[in-house]
Amino acid sequence: MSATTRRRWTNWGLNALAYFVLIVMLAPVFWLVASSTQTTSALASGSYDLLHPTFDAFSDMWNSVDFERYLANSIVICSGAALFATAFASSAGYALARFSFRGSRTYELTVVGTQLIPGSLFLLPVFLGFVWLKQNTPIALLDTHLGLILVYTAFFTPLAIYFMRAFFQAIPRELEEAAMVDGCTRFQAFLRVVLPNATPGLVATFVYAFLFAWDELLFATALTEHRAETIPIGIRNFIGNYSEEYDQLMAAGVVSTLPVIIAFFATQRWLVRGLTAGAVKG
Amino acid sequence: MGIADRSRARFAYWLIAPAAAFMVLVHLIPTAAGMFLSLLNLNTFTFQRLFGAPWAGLENYDSILFDSANPLHSGFTNAASNTAFYTVWTVSLTLVLGLAIALLLNRSFPGNRVVRTLMLTPWVVPSFVVASLWQFMWQRDAGIVNKLLVDYLGFVDERPTWLLGENTMWAIIIPSVWRGIPFAMLIFIAGLQAIPPELHEAAAIDGAGPWKRFRHITLPLLRPLIAIQLLFGVIYSAYQFAIPYIMLGSNPGPSADLLMTLIIRQSFSNNLFGYGAAVSTLLMAAMFVWVAIWYRAFRRDLQEVR
Repeated sequence: MSATTRRRWTNWGLNALAYFVLIVMLAPVFWLVASSTQTTSALASGSYDLLHPTFDAFSDMWNSVDFERYLANSIVICSGAALFATAFASSAGYALARFSFRGSRTYELTVVGTQLIPGSLFLLPVFLGFVWLKQNTPIALLDTHLGLILVYTAFFTPLAIYFMRAFFQAIPRELEEAAMVDGCTRFQAFLRVVLPNATPGLVATFVYAFLFAWDELLFATALTEHRAETIPIGIRNFIGNYSEEYDQLMAAGVVSTLPVIIAFFATQRWLVRGLTAGAVKG
Repeated sequence: MGIADRSRARFAYWLIAPAAAFMVLVHLIPTAAGMFLSLLNLNTFTFQRLFGAPWAGLENYDSILFDSANPLHSGFTNAASNTAFYTVWTVSLTLVLGLAIALLLNRSFPGNRVVRTLMLTPWVVPSFVVASLWQFMWQRDAGIVNKLLVDYLGFVDERPTWLLGENTMWAIIIPSVWRGIPFAMLIFIAGLQAIPPELHEAAAIDGAGPWKRFRHITLPLLRPLIAIQLLFGVIYSAYQFAIPYIMLGSNPGPSADLLMTLIIRQSFSNNLFGYGAAVSTLLMAAMFVWVAIWYRAFRRDLQEVR
């Protein structure tokens, strides 16, 4: 065999391997979708009929647990938190990218430091704070959308600050300097000139915060009772009460994955740029 | 400091104020309060008194770390070693497989862009869905894993039990790695594309084979990316909660009980809040030690990036 033929065969083999790896990685997702279209008994006995899907599980699951409520709560809470986190992270990220001020190094280190605190350490104090507010003030944070929105904003702002800083560093300074020569104040220059140029970063940050908030379980468990419960709680209740109805559990899994899959792939180009810019630049 | 500088600094303080306020109110003050609780004897009987519960000093820490007669001590050492095992395997498998797949997909072949994008899917599946999906897949009789291994492919004769006993650790590691690989791959592909192709071409002309080029060009240039992923990967894995909790319940059993599941169970099911806060503080201290070690090992790489 000549060197070129051998190289062609190796290349062909590696291509086949790439597609094989993709199939293996996607197989569990395929099974999530496929099993949601089977009946409970087919899943239990293993007599799958993938060619004749049924969508009964998708209609039954809404009645088994109050899934509509969980879904609506998750959408409201995660959008709210992602919006606040993006706003605060972009202003703080801009400050760190452009200005040197006393305490900026301490601030940066504290921002990273928050990521080292296990949720279990400050969960109880946050809960107690919410209870205290409920008993002593008209501020209602326990089992409300606002309560979880505030907590999640705090959770996902720190890393988002680093994303946004990387995005702002890539925008030339001359842009806002020109705007200020034209009579803009510093804040107007930031709002009207810099932010629109950082749209990909803003979108990436919003989606990052949304995805991670969607995933949060621990604080949602402790800080909600009934009204503000989110999807992870719904899934846990499903497992607790309908443990044999795997078709419905998988249907619930499909429904709770769809919003984030859509958000991710719709903004994928920008998000990937944001994530890799943050990581590659450290 | 001139007037212009002062106004710039004041503007910067306004910009960081909202994020700083959230950090102080949600992270810093409650964390300080949590550390204070770890010094109290806070349990079912004293819970009403909260911050006025009897002072215990370092008793909680003493019984967790050194009192071998105390069942809480053995619960802690078991969960701590499980967490170390889970973290080491999850992080190393994720990084090694993520890098291997990145190398495989960073070649030009038909459909490579589509393949790279689709490969990200597992990372977008929420971890509570990952846990419930794999819990179903790991079922002994009805699960697809055993169906494949035993019935369809015949790799094993006896149906393994995944969700009880020794295998439970792997039942949580494998889904964690599966969900983590796409992100590692994404970061590594970005890093690989930043390597100038001339470096490889020049080395190839000098007679360096693929392994030598990987070892002496690719790997050193990817070091900063490996460093940053090690840092966050270890922290994220050490604080893993959703996957064992959803898959195995509040008590995942001695083989898969992680520190986070132990803390939450002892705090909220058994009302041992002081004990839970002490274990949390120890876990946080361990992560500070990890960051210090990490910083010593990778300091040079960080300077290169900046």
